[in-house]
Amino acid sequence: MLVDIITWPPLFQLVIAPGLVAALVIVIFILWFERKTAARVQMRIGPYHVSPRIGGGLQLIADLVRYSFQEIIIPKAADKPIFIGAPLAALVISLLPVVAMPFTTVPKYYPIPMDYSLLIAVALSTLSPIFIIAAGWASNNKFSIIGGLREAFVITAYELLIVITALAGGVAVLSYNLTDIVVAQKPFYKWILFTNPIAALTMFAAILMATSGFPFEIPEAENEIVAGAYTEYSGLMYGINMGAAYIKRFAYSLLFTLIFLGGWLPYEPSSGLIHGYLIPLVIVLVKSTIVMAIMSFLRAVYGRFRIDQALDGAWRIFIPLALIGFGIALIEAYLGVYA
Amino acid sequence: MPGKVVYKKTPKPRFLDAITGNLGAILIGLKYFANPNRLTMKYPYEYPQLRSNYRGFIVLDMKKCIGCMSCARICPAAAMKMVKVEVEKAGKKKQMPFPVINYNRCIFCGFCVDVCPTEALYHIPVHDVVYTNMEDMVLDLEKFQEKVESPSVKEGVPVRYLFDPDKGLVKVPIKEGGGEE
Repeated sequence: MLVDIITWPPLFQLVIAPGLVAALVIVIFILWFERKTAARVQMRIGPYHVSPRIGGGLQLIADLVRYSFQEIIIPKAADKPIFIGAPLAALVISLLPVVAMPFTTVPKYYPIPMDYSLLIAVALSTLSPIFIIAAGWASNNKFSIIGGLREAFVITAYELLIVITALAGGVAVLSYNLTDIVVAQKPFYKWILFTNPIAALTMFAAILMATSGFPFEIPEAENEIVAGAYTEYSGLMYGINMGAAYIKRFAYSLLFTLIFLGGWLPYEPSSGLIHGYLIPLVIVLVKSTIVMAIMSFLRAVYGRFRIDQALDGAWRIFIPLALIGFGIALIEAYLGVYA
Repeated sequence: MPGKVVYKKTPKPRFLDAITGNLGAILIGLKYFANPNRLTMKYPYEYPQLRSNYRGFIVLDMKKCIGCMSCARICPAAAMKMVKVEVEKAGKKKQMPFPVINYNRCIFCGFCVDVCPTEALYHIPVHDVVYTNMEDMVLDLEKFQEKVESPSVKEGVPVRYLFDPDKGLVKVPIKEGGGEE
């Protein structure tokens, strides 16, 4: 009985896995991985002294403890309710798309009715940037406002990209039901990553842009505008802000895994809680962690683009690529590849 | 005659340059990810092997000193001062000036060592000594004659940076006998 209540999908997915708890664990791992990878490539060691035996694995937890004991300073000129509310809302809302994602074929474990889940997940994922802009505006600081404006500029470029490329997956299968999309990719070579690599690449780059991942870390460019929209935040609020971007990236990479990497395939869910719900969930989590790790690796390779370069790339290169990907999906649907 | 102005044209990027450039960057990153060459010196556990002529802390050899005061005069930071001490020389007691140093002021320029006519002052290859208060940094005549010990040398491993034709700069630990691994 208690197990039924805990694993009631809408609650379980938002709070435990892949929601708040699992997302926090994975984000802490990814942050550590990002710092270690960048250090490895750049001939350094990275976090080390907190726990030398596991390569500084506890560094992020130490950081978290430090953040939670720091004083939260609210500037006099700031708009208080929005200043406090915006990052919290951004954190919660960036987790919301998780509720619209199925992790099994068993209808009992669907969090919501599934027929248009892809559309709902994409729609929910586009809500959170407005709060970053609001946070920048409420801080009443020139760096924050510039950071918020840059976020607004980047949104206009990437949001369309994510929507077009995510829907390309649905169009190829002729269904906006994420379960159908995953089940249609059953043999290994039918993953949409392989049949439509252009859309996959474009969505990958768009996710990096959306979450200010490294080549596109424009809204919070450290050496230009302090910390962008988060300049005035301190203590735990700063930690929440930094974590929110990664949690958003996590939600996007779950979506990426479901659409392009075949979700819980090659495993086939059967009946029962463990075989029908938890094992496919863990498979999806592992796949999306790998996607996030690849994104983190890019931090070590690329420098930051200027905002004009990033916008130029988005409008002149990636949007045509996304449209080509959409066209490929239409052709696949016409030829009945996934019929 | 002014030099002739030459306009250099940057070559136009070809169509595939964006793809090959990105792939090349990622491949180099993967190469270093698989086979990292870490240069970071874990300082208290490793320390740089300094050459014998390193311009570190200064030590006085009192037997060689003739009390000419050149070192105190040339010191640009006024870190060195002379003190008068009674010594026996050739059976006679007489007062003679000797240098003492104040490391609060010393800038380790080495002028005193250069100017010393009898080589009574010399450098030792030690640079990382910690004093707990400022009074300890003013050395008296007895302390000035002792060789200061580096705290990292006691527990650390000496390392040296060498140039490797394949990997570039590499960090090499040095064995106690003086050879390199």
